[in-house]
Amino acid sequence: MKIVVCIKQVPETTNVKINEKTKNIDRRGLGGVINSYDLHALETALEIKRNVGGEVITMTMGPDDFAVSLRETLALGADSSILLSDRAFAGADTLATGYVLGKAIKKIGDVDLVLLGQQSVDADTGQVGPIMAELLQIPQVTYANEVIAENNSLLIKRNLDNVAQEITAQLPLLLTVTDTINQPQYTNVVEITKSFAKPITTWHASELQLDDSRVGQAGSPTIVRSISSPEKAAKVGHKLTNDPREAAAELVAILKKQNILTEED
Amino acid sequence: MTVIKENWVFVETDLNKINPVTYELITKMKQISHDPVVAILIEKSDANLETELSEYGPDKILLVKDDELVDGDDLELTDALNKLIQKQGTPNTFIFPATVVGRSVAPRLQARLRTGLTADCLDLKFEDDLLVQTKPSYGDNIMCEITIPNHHPQMATARPNVFTAEKENNPALKIEEIDNLEWEKDTKLQIKSQVLPLKTSNDIAKAQRIVALGRGDKTEAGIGIANNLAKKLHATVGVTRPLTDLDQYTITEQIGQSGQTVAPDLLINLGISGAVQYTAGISNAKIVVSVNTDENAQIFKYSDYYFVGNALEFSKALEAIL
Ligand SMILES: Cc1cc2nc3c(=O)[nH]c(=O)nc-3n(C[C@H](O)[C@H](O)[C@H](O)COP(=O)(O)OP(=O)(O)OC[C@H]3O[C@@H](n4cnc5c(N)ncnc54)[C@H](O)[C@@H]3O)c2cc1C
Ligand SMILES: Nc1ncnc2c1ncn2[C@@H]1O[C@H](COP(=O)(O)O)[C@@H](O)[C@H]1O
Repeated sequence: MKIVVCIKQVPETTNVKINEKTKNIDRRGLGGVINSYDLHALETALEIKRNVGGEVITMTMGPDDFAVSLRETLALGADSSILLSDRAFAGADTLATGYVLGKAIKKIGDVDLVLLGQQSVDADTGQVGPIMAELLQIPQVTYANEVIAENNSLLIKRNLDNVAQEITAQLPLLLTVTDTINQPQYTNVVEITKSFAKPITTWHASELQLDDSRVGQAGSPTIVRSISSPEKAAKVGHKLTNDPREAAAELVAILKKQNILTEED
Repeated sequence: MTVIKENWVFVETDLNKINPVTYELITKMKQISHDPVVAILIEKSDANLETELSEYGPDKILLVKDDELVDGDDLELTDALNKLIQKQGTPNTFIFPATVVGRSVAPRLQARLRTGLTADCLDLKFEDDLLVQTKPSYGDNIMCEITIPNHHPQMATARPNVFTAEKENNPALKIEEIDNLEWEKDTKLQIKSQVLPLKTSNDIAKAQRIVALGRGDKTEAGIGIANNLAKKLHATVGVTRPLTDLDQYTITEQIGQSGQTVAPDLLINLGISGAVQYTAGISNAKIVVSVNTDENAQIFKYSDYYFVGNALEFSKALEAIL
């Protein structure tokens, strides 16, 4: 089975602030890590490979320093990686990102399964997967939390908000996974050493036969007008007394007064 | 492309029941728009969900009765909604709930229509015909205002429990049934079974009172007492993410960014630190009470009342006097 896992490099913490001067997100001193959900997508791919055989390719669209994250996926067990890097890709929203990633999947050719995380922890949209599936004209299953691979099909479990579903899907398919699907493995020194023998190929815009009007900022229908750090309406909390029994009594009295608790409680 | 001055809202149904988030979206769109709000309802041929839907006062219901499409996969729903747009015209806006279904179908339709989509909105407003969408990112640490100035429909998904649904009698309501929407079948994917889990996320999302457990109250004794306390309070038990490692809790009970958004009158946090991913889910709680051994715990900043000390002792004491 030929599997491509799309990974995104994200800031190591989402606890970011706006820089008052530049009015942009302050990323100073923030390292990059692989989006946590994408590690689960990679582990899903590796499990499938262990069970039915195949090839696992990881791919990212981003600046050249995203190669660090690709190297990490190779150390974790991926066979090869592709970096999609070009000035023209800058400023892409989800639609333009999905377009470039979709084009790259077509260039790879004969891909059976495209795997992604349910969402990236910085953008938080979860849109790139369905967008790619649509451009590739293949079915999708999102938010999978269990996958069993057979040779030409997958058995998938997922939870909608109020319904649990079981799905069988033939390949090719695009699948996005939650973080309850598996436990990502750790890498070790041997694997890290081996990873340097595995290839990371870089593709530029010119190699992907792109329609310029669908790439980067030009291909992005959404415009971010402004960003802000929400002032979390900090509550002025009232501290209850230190003795648990007295504190409980105090609380019950207050809540009854506010009609949050009734006389029956 | 002709843009029609209508705002469409996708009606999510789960096993023949309307997901209440739909009503929240209809109410919100009615409040902010001068143009008609149109509910897009797909239901079984013998169903009658439009009656219930009417109570929330949409201006029009576009009704598709189709036994197969009701259980359609994302690809089939995308195709059907695209056909509906081809038939009716392109609406100015098209809003989906930010549920698993909405977050899966909306981006696929977005790609088919080559328009913009903003995920997970916490607020929506109009400037003339332009929909201004407020979206959180970086785990709710950053708010972005996003617009889609040159494409239609302007699409968005909006989070459940953020807007308040209000019933309204709309005498002008029209119900228009759409026949023979010739959507394309997808034979590659089969939904084998759909079952209602024993507990649904609505239980916690709709709960009026919640006792929430964190890692600081994860012991068997702690969980036992918290359950007793919840029983006495007629409250639902919720958890932080680390507790979903235990057999008895899943994402259905998890509160927070990757779990459920809750809006109870009373929330009691036991042994919870107050990570942003957790507090993202509790901003609509009315009265928040928190118990933590650490007097500098973040959670206290989100609390109306707090107790510095052992969660087990406090919940025991509280349970005993109720
Ligand atoms: C992408 C992403 C999404 C996430 N989504 C969610 C989400 O939806 N929901 C969620 O909850 N988390 C989520 N998390 C995890 C989140 O970051 C925190 O790790 C988690 O909320 C911490 O849970 P906790 O407060 O129970 O545990 P901890 O942070 O370990 O806090 C335990 C607290 O208990 C206190 N304590 C210890 N002993 C006692 C005692 N005897 N009595 C009283 N207090 C005691 C401690 O002082 C501490 O403050 C997410 C993380 C990521 C990266
Ligand atoms: N620039 C990118 N390169 C590769 N994969 C990406 C990129 N952006 C998003 N993804 C994938 O799409 C998923 C959803 O991301 P998002 O739509 O940004 O929330 C992520 O979990 C990744 O698997």
